[in-house]
Amino acid sequence: MKISRKFYIIILTISIVMFTSCELEGGESLNGASTTSISDDLSRGELPQAISGVLSDMRGRLNTQIDVQSILGREYYYFTSSDPRFEGDVVTGNLDNNTFYTTAPWGSRYAAIKDVNLALTGLENTTSDFSEEEIASARGLLNTLKAHELLMVANNQYTNGIRVDTSDPDNLGPFVGYDEALTTIIDLLSSASIDIAFAGDLELPDLFPLSSGFDDLRKTEPVTDELLPITAADLLEFNKALAARVELYRGNYSNVLTLLNDSFMDLTGNLGKGVYHTFSLSGSDFANPLFLALNQESNVRVAHSSFIDDALPLDSRVGKVVLRESPVEASGLVGEYDVWIYQSNVDNLPIIRNEELVLLYAEANILINPAESVVAINIVRNAANLDNYTGALTPAALENEILFQRRYSLFGEGHRWVDMRRFGRLNELPNDRAGDSVPEAVPVPANENQ
Amino acid sequence: MNYTLSLRVLLFSIIFFPLLTFGQQVKGTVIDGASNQPLPGANVIIKGTSTGANTDFDGNFTINVENFPATLVISSLGFETQEVVLTEVRDVNVTLKESATSLDEVVISGLASTVKRTNAANSVASVSAADLAGVTPPQTLDGALAGKFTGALISSNSGAPGGGVSVKLRGITSINGNSQPLYIIDGVYIDNSSVSSGGLNSVSGAASGGNPSSQDNATNRIADINPDDIENIEILKGASASAIYGSRGAAGVIIITTKKGKSGKTVLSFSQSFGFNQAINLQGQRNWTAELAESQYGEGALYTAALNNGTLRDYEKEVYGEKGFISNTNVSMSGGSDKTTFYVGLSRNEEEGIVKRTGYDKTSIRLNADHRFTDNIKLAITTNYINSSADRGFFNNDNTGTTLGVALTNTRPWDYLLPDANGNYPDHPNNSSNPLQTRDLMTNNEATKRFITGGTLDVNLYRGENSDLKFVAKAGADHYTLTGTVIFPKELQFMRPDQGGVNGITAVSNTTNTNANYSAFLVHNYQTANDLNFTTQAGVTNEQFSQNVVRVISSDLIASETNVDQSANQTVNQYRLKQEDFGFYVQESINYQDKLIGTLGVRGDKSTNNGDINELFYYPKASLAANLHNFGFWGDDSKINRFKPRIAYGEAGTFAAFGSLYTLYGSSSNDGNVGITAPIIRGNSSITPERQGELELGFDAGFFDNIVSLEFTYYKKTVEDLLLQSNIEPSTGFSTEWVNAGTLENRGIEIGINVAAFESDDFQWNSGVSWYKNTSEMTELNVPTFNLGGFGNSLGQFQIEEGKSVTQIVGTTGPDTPVSVLGDAEPDFQMSFNNRFVYKDFTLSFLWHWKKGGDNINLTKLLSDFGGTSADYDDFTVDPEGLINNGTYRIENGIFAQNARPFVEDASYLRLREVGLYYIVPSKSVEKWFKGAVANIKVGFSGNNLVNIFDYNSYDPEVSNFGGNGLSTGVEVTPFPSSKRYMFHLSAQF
Repeated sequence: MKISRKFYIIILTISIVMFTSCELEGGESLNGASTTSISDDLSRGELPQAISGVLSDMRGRLNTQIDVQSILGREYYYFTSSDPRFEGDVVTGNLDNNTFYTTAPWGSRYAAIKDVNLALTGLENTTSDFSEEEIASARGLLNTLKAHELLMVANNQYTNGIRVDTSDPDNLGPFVGYDEALTTIIDLLSSASIDIAFAGDLELPDLFPLSSGFDDLRKTEPVTDELLPITAADLLEFNKALAARVELYRGNYSNVLTLLNDSFMDLTGNLGKGVYHTFSLSGSDFANPLFLALNQESNVRVAHSSFIDDALPLDSRVGKVVLRESPVEASGLVGEYDVWIYQSNVDNLPIIRNEELVLLYAEANILINPAESVVAINIVRNAANLDNYTGALTPAALENEILFQRRYSLFGEGHRWVDMRRFGRLNELPNDRAGDSVPEAVPVPANENQ
Repeated sequence: MNYTLSLRVLLFSIIFFPLLTFGQQVKGTVIDGASNQPLPGANVIIKGTSTGANTDFDGNFTINVENFPATLVISSLGFETQEVVLTEVRDVNVTLKESATSLDEVVISGLASTVKRTNAANSVASVSAADLAGVTPPQTLDGALAGKFTGALISSNSGAPGGGVSVKLRGITSINGNSQPLYIIDGVYIDNSSVSSGGLNSVSGAASGGNPSSQDNATNRIADINPDDIENIEILKGASASAIYGSRGAAGVIIITTKKGKSGKTVLSFSQSFGFNQAINLQGQRNWTAELAESQYGEGALYTAALNNGTLRDYEKEVYGEKGFISNTNVSMSGGSDKTTFYVGLSRNEEEGIVKRTGYDKTSIRLNADHRFTDNIKLAITTNYINSSADRGFFNNDNTGTTLGVALTNTRPWDYLLPDANGNYPDHPNNSSNPLQTRDLMTNNEATKRFITGGTLDVNLYRGENSDLKFVAKAGADHYTLTGTVIFPKELQFMRPDQGGVNGITAVSNTTNTNANYSAFLVHNYQTANDLNFTTQAGVTNEQFSQNVVRVISSDLIASETNVDQSANQTVNQYRLKQEDFGFYVQESINYQDKLIGTLGVRGDKSTNNGDINELFYYPKASLAANLHNFGFWGDDSKINRFKPRIAYGEAGTFAAFGSLYTLYGSSSNDGNVGITAPIIRGNSSITPERQGELELGFDAGFFDNIVSLEFTYYKKTVEDLLLQSNIEPSTGFSTEWVNAGTLENRGIEIGINVAAFESDDFQWNSGVSWYKNTSEMTELNVPTFNLGGFGNSLGQFQIEEGKSVTQIVGTTGPDTPVSVLGDAEPDFQMSFNNRFVYKDFTLSFLWHWKKGGDNINLTKLLSDFGGTSADYDDFTVDPEGLINNGTYRIENGIFAQNARPFVEDASYLRLREVGLYYIVPSKSVEKWFKGAVANIKVGFSGNNLVNIFDYNSYDPEVSNFGGNGLSTGVEVTPFPSSKRYMFHLSAQF
């Protein structure tokens, strides 16, 4: 019986242990920071991470967004053996409201906006020792980026409308049309500009590091020619540049000129100067999703034949496409030239750059000062190895010329379709197959329950 | 209960215990009626007492009988129980007949109790060792269950070696929660996760963002378990039975018992099988001619040149046409003394895939030991160590043209892809990857080292005249490390920088998973004078789960190094899970003379995975069975000798996915700065487990002295508070959010008929037919209709919609058409037909399985249409009008016309799942040849999926691009083709 007694003791112990261990402890999230940890109180250490998060998310599904815009603008085709809808739905214009080409750009832009909103709430609730200038500069940058993202969505959705107030997921704001969306975006940019201006010459890297994609904004020390840290005042030039684009869309040409004046536009400078998305292969960074090697077979971006056909002789911008070793065909669409804008998977991708600003300047001057418009046009033409503009100075002629220059200067950057729509000329875009057509807008995703 | 009396009895028994064991010895022998060999391990009990003994290896037993007359009850699993009345001491020689109906087996009824199948109020399915692996050796445990019991839809995700199987019991039980059953082996909670290896999706881009994706089709880890070790499997199909497992029970529970040692002479069994596998249904080639090559690609000249050079090649055969060698070796040893018994199982399985450099390799060692300290204290220990390695290749969906499947869709017979003498592969002229190069150079290996151990302590605290009290404690742990190794060397076409590649990828994914569970129960039996039997049990349980997955993916490799640090760039991600559950369980069963058997029970569960970690969720159950034949309503000579109506109700839950309480930032970096990014899924701090209530009604009947037995079950299960990853307006920045929002219902019928059709000395024939069907309905949905598990409306996807079948497949049928229902993944019904013929020393067994109806979304053909390579491209079978050829129709009138109809296909099949023919060498010959050194020599042939009949236009209707969980099974994108197996066996005992 001795063994039994030992066992009774064991049983007793097991029972006691089991019954006393019944209070549970723990219940942790483990796999990441909770969003409330930012929105409840954004600390000095968290601010750089929140801002880098926004910049990072702004790149999400950019390839899908730009591919769709470029196909709709008949700039290039994207053939991929694994998803035929780029040569199907998108070219035929039968856009489904619940397929990735509709939902991915929408969702990704609003994800970046969510990052902004959480950080803005965090700035409001912060208990850290930020100075007013610091808060203003962060808020100004965040709102500028938010305005850019809203503009990206609005450009896709056009008259189908977008939501501009999305800060409370349980109580989303209403859908607004294109014009109202642009008004909200310009208001946002202008309040951001006041914030940024308030911060003055505040050196930003002490507060939050910006990616090297903002380096073109940095000034140099006049004497030593040393590159200075980026300041709030530098950011303001980016804000103004974006605002100029929006005002141009709205047709407020004199505002465009004022804004361009305060922007980083440089009529004599490098047309590539601008603000860029950056890419790298390290860690959890992204590779440039629009890069494809030349002469691929199953995964290609090929220029629309009209890009070559319509080009002026010697235009160096035709170098953005490269003749393939052999043409590629998909479902009746043919491509002979690979798109070659990005030549490695870490190439920067522009958010806005000087070449566009110069063309904004040209366009804003069509009515105000046609001669000045031609000056700007010639800057772009000469840079592309072309002679000066010799056409008429009528608004119609200048419009044609500027659209033509924008087509080649901003090829594959998501402008062509929006531009042709602005002038009601979508019907001029070519359709290569019987069933193809260019839609005016991307549908609102089904899940918006509009 | 009179506890003072009980206490007195307890004291009495302790003091006089040695005296009580003193009686008169009765000896006897038990013989196996089927083989005429001694039957070891049979139970001998004196009726109405708990005095018992087991037979030893020679079938002998001795038992102390105190009072005469006494009745000995002799039973053994798989045999009909016999009773022998003793009026005096004498030798008892009994021959047990094999039971056709397995009525004598016991099935689980509570966490610490079992009930005789004849008294069970639930339809608990059981699968014996012979059913599981007796006909042909299965590749994996879960795959071997298909067609072997009613109420399940068991489907392979692909043919890749190492498994990947979806098991759904009685319909879909959860939409976004876990819908795979819980596996318990010898009381241990077994992890069945599928962990995707890092690196695959970085190359395939199947899911965006470079995250590990479910589209890589990882193995689910139950595949580690060695089927040869299994003695018996019981399946609790729904909440009416699985309520005992509370908030983990709703998807059903598969309870596995492994083999135990038998006392007596040590028996050494050896078995060896050899065989091979081969693709079931290769699709073939388009009928290429120079004209066709010219019209399709403008490559008529290349075709003619290849034809003249004799270099036209069927690349499908080149890649999928291998015969994979299979070898299974199994050695087991069983023996022990009266007090201690042991079972040792050692097995080694090797299997090559039908694609070169794929295969599965597993070594499993098991040691099970039972020790009786005294007659009242028993300890059982099970241990199992498994080392497995699966080379899975590179298949399924991609967005880069790199998986073997997608690459083949773009490969024409005149493409020359073979390497030169130095091993340099040409670039594919029509695709971003050369599938032969990818096959020969890439690695996708999952290696597991797993240790599972469990212990059960049984203590009879006291035994009395008409009551006894038992204490049962169990503890178990399941621990494994899984290493996923993915290597894409820089030589691969798509890895070369000039082709836009990243100069090689190597990735290591390490998973450490530990489950631990503990329980302690008291079980009290009390029997009244008029055979009213009360069994009371109460106890507590505690389960702990932890998982840690670390994936390192590196690119731009140094030389041909494959260590993750030998590279320019590394990406790391980590996922952790930690959960602890605590529960109690109380159950009362009342058995009135085996006539009426009723059970009431309740489980309470709390968990760190709930919003309020100390809130108890209660899961009740109740059941009643009536053995009408025991009431004497009809005489012994009636044609109906057994009739038992039964009813059971129970509730069980499914936990919300780990972490769904929280909205968590993701991390990403931008130009060297770490950033936090809003997640896709919005958490919900008030999420609760979903709750299933199942009502099960049915009857079991036996006719003509149990020659024919019939089981009929109807069930209705309702799942409330459905865990939905519901779409949220994407302008919130999220794409889905966790909610409890909806109710679904599954109703079904299960019918099983077993017939011992013929029985004579020389010939026996047993046959079984089962038929089952399930229908589901989304009875309530509190969020808007939403889609999941597909690639959009123009290709077909699942749609969750109130009032509709949960598994409906919808899509558009033309430009600007509204979505309409195009199919349903739920089969109309399933049927299986199994037979066993024994003629003298020959045994022939086979199992047919028919799944009628149930649709898939098949996109493989569409992808090969785009490549212009579909075998049926030029046929006219898809266009309803018969005017347009299939390839053109699927492209022009299918996807481009936003018509998903051509992609939703009937996935019915009729297959000969298993067939085996065995010959037992007569024992006399064996005796003569080996002089007793060897016994039970058996040889045979068997096969798996040898006959497959289906109209489905691809390799196999059993397929899933998205793995096994949830709804999205049955979507096909260029999978690893499935195979059939031919095996030869030899086994013997020493």
